[in-house]
Amino acid sequence: MSDLDKAIAQLRACRPIPEIQVRELCYKARELLIEEGNVVGVNAPVTICGDIHGQFHDLMELFRVGGEVPDTNYLFMGDFVDRGFYSLESFLLLLCLKVRYPDRITLIRGNHESRQITTVYGFYDECLRKYGSANVWRYCCEVFDYLALGALVTGAATDLEPTEASFANAESEASQPSTLDDVEIEILNSNNQILNRFPRPKPSSDSEVGSPAPNRTGPAGTGASGSSGGSSANRSGAVLCVHGGLSPLIDSIDKIRLLDRKQEVPHEGAMCDLLWSDPDEIDGWGLSPRGAGFLFGADIVKRFNYINDLSLIARAHQLVMEGFKEMFDNTIVTVWSAPNYCYRCGNVAAILELSEDGSNAGYAPRSNGDVGRRQERQGLAERDATGEHAPGPGRRYRVFEAAPQDSRGMPAKKPVADYFL
Amino acid sequence: MAAPQIPNLNTLRGRTRLRGGLRGRGRGGFGPEDPQSEEDQDAARDKIIQQTDNDASSSRMSAVALGYLDDEYARAFIQGQIPRRYPIINRGTYVRTTAIDRLVDNFLCQEPSARKQIISLGAGSDTRFFRRKDVKNVVYHEIDFPSNTEQKISAIERTPLLLNALQSTLPSPADLQVSAEKTALASTTYNIHPLDLRTLASPELGGASSPPQLPNLDPTLPTLVLSECCLCYLPPEVTTSILQRVSNSVISPTAPLALIVYEPIRPYDSFGKTMISNLASRGIHLQTLKKYSSLDAQRLRLKHAGLVDGQGARDIESIYYGEGEEEWITPEERRRIEGLEWLDEVEEWRLLARHYCVAWGWRDGDGDGVFSKAWGGVAGSRTAAENADDEML
Repeated sequence: MSDLDKAIAQLRACRPIPEIQVRELCYKARELLIEEGNVVGVNAPVTICGDIHGQFHDLMELFRVGGEVPDTNYLFMGDFVDRGFYSLESFLLLLCLKVRYPDRITLIRGNHESRQITTVYGFYDECLRKYGSANVWRYCCEVFDYLALGALVTGAATDLEPTEASFANAESEASQPSTLDDVEIEILNSNNQILNRFPRPKPSSDSEVGSPAPNRTGPAGTGASGSSGGSSANRSGAVLCVHGGLSPLIDSIDKIRLLDRKQEVPHEGAMCDLLWSDPDEIDGWGLSPRGAGFLFGADIVKRFNYINDLSLIARAHQLVMEGFKEMFDNTIVTVWSAPNYCYRCGNVAAILELSEDGSNAGYAPRSNGDVGRRQERQGLAERDATGEHAPGPGRRYRVFEAAPQDSRGMPAKKPVADYFL
Repeated sequence: MAAPQIPNLNTLRGRTRLRGGLRGRGRGGFGPEDPQSEEDQDAARDKIIQQTDNDASSSRMSAVALGYLDDEYARAFIQGQIPRRYPIINRGTYVRTTAIDRLVDNFLCQEPSARKQIISLGAGSDTRFFRRKDVKNVVYHEIDFPSNTEQKISAIERTPLLLNALQSTLPSPADLQVSAEKTALASTTYNIHPLDLRTLASPELGGASSPPQLPNLDPTLPTLVLSECCLCYLPPEVTTSILQRVSNSVISPTAPLALIVYEPIRPYDSFGKTMISNLASRGIHLQTLKKYSSLDAQRLRLKHAGLVDGQGARDIESIYYGEGEEEWITPEERRRIEGLEWLDEVEEWRLLARHYCVAWGWRDGDGDGVFSKAWGGVAGSRTAAENADDEML
């Protein structure tokens, strides 16, 4: 067993590793991350996760529900630290996994991966408490500066191959369409039971009248008909993953690539906006109540997706009680992966699975390693760019609740959530 | 350095004892442990509630230290380091204090020459009397458990700032009397009564056969009763009975009377359910929460308590964000507040703020409508948002 595997085992038991190992780990991680661009290329299949916030036991639950690294290819959209009691163990475990399986896990930066925010929201104090000095906090902050700002997922299938999962209850089963073709969205609970399933709207010639289609009505010549050629053209537009959202200073993904990211998150500017902004039901841009970043409306998202040939933006950053929330005709989704956030909010969490393009019958092999990535990339270059909007990928959401506090024999400090007394 | 994630160690202190007590009872005769008596368990439960005051005073200190609130007296009730709370807690403390100050000040500024009275239930280490020491013609009463009043009186005695502030309201220093056990304080302006509120309930609910006499309390004066997270810890029937007795015998049935409560609401959504179970695990039971679960239930409760001339209620979220007729906090002030700290948790803030309310109700009695004049212009009636809330039930 290598030192790294030992560290992973120790961290999985929710025990911190010695300071000297942290230093070494952070050094290796930086060497790896410096090679990544500001926008990391990721090939489907991939499981996209939102905020973790030091809720270590819930991160273990996430791996139970979504599969272990390296079997599952993961993309974490930042906010690993702060608020929860185990920011240190959570972040170091993810970092160990990154160093051990660099092609099977992608970490991008959230607004909490910052020196200033971590001194307010707990990570700094946690490091001080667990190591007696701020060294480990400093090592981690140096890694934060090297984390990518976004990721671009390509090669995701437009349709979900339905799982063999059963329905969670008869009611939801009865409301399902009779055919299982072209499932666009599927929602599963943590026991792998289907909660709901939505087919993709079909061209009128093939329509199932009265089917409970989601309210996705793209302009003519787009959406379902856009990729034409029936089952073989199964390639969706790319998915941009970023922690917060868009910036008025960024109109193309290439502009993100040009940023100098290796610094503390600035108080304003494009890099700050990518980590802080939120979508909102407004036109154009608005001021953010968070004091950093902006609010942006549907018109901004649709234009950005069109210009950049995206079918979807996946982002995190905002607590959503149902774990995920699609907005603006399914052009942007918020994924939130911290159940019962701060041990207080009572929300469920979700992860988003995008499966691989249907070239091997839609089954996404969860194999170790890197096989097939290069070919997929070439596929991207040939991608039909004539459609106004690329069809969205099939999306499988797995919704899960907080892990029981004393689960799996790991130490668990009884959380004390703040109220007004 | 204080860790902000574990801010409530003080309120946990009583918990161990409670658990010991329950274990003793649950496995009575099992092992050498002495089973605790019912009284001991009740005392342990009471202690937890008494210690919620530590939580409140820490929160207030944190908000003062960061500039949310201006309160030079808060420090006197904090031992050791200044606690640090999360931005959403600081903001909530600010809104709570500011909203109640507005209602109290609207009352106090009516006819400054007319005498008035304030009774603060479960006042703990509250500083409102000291912050309003320059308002004339007010008699202030605070009621709390003896253990809390003792702490407060000792803080006043050892802190010249508090003592001088108090004495500046008195005709002569000799006017101030402190009981031998140091649990009671009496004067013409400020009184601290060591009293378990439950003795105010009717005898069949465990109260005293006649309501206890409180020194310097004038049953004929226009009286404002404050309950900031106090009555909600008692059983609903006890709370109702206390309010009845206050409104019919502690205060004369014809005197103008008003009540302001600050309490949690909305127990039925997932945040509310989590709140109930989180606090229960600390031994804190919000006993009236389900009965007064909505703004409308709060208004109705005030009306049924005989405060028939007007009732209002708003949650903390709408108090913070309200505009126009609904404005409690000016846009400039909101900008100032939002500039004090980065508040990243906007969704969490709204969630938390929706689960607390300020409710107020009054009767004008035989008076000249002092409360109607004070509060008639404060928007507090039913809103469209409440209709949506009701549909959830």
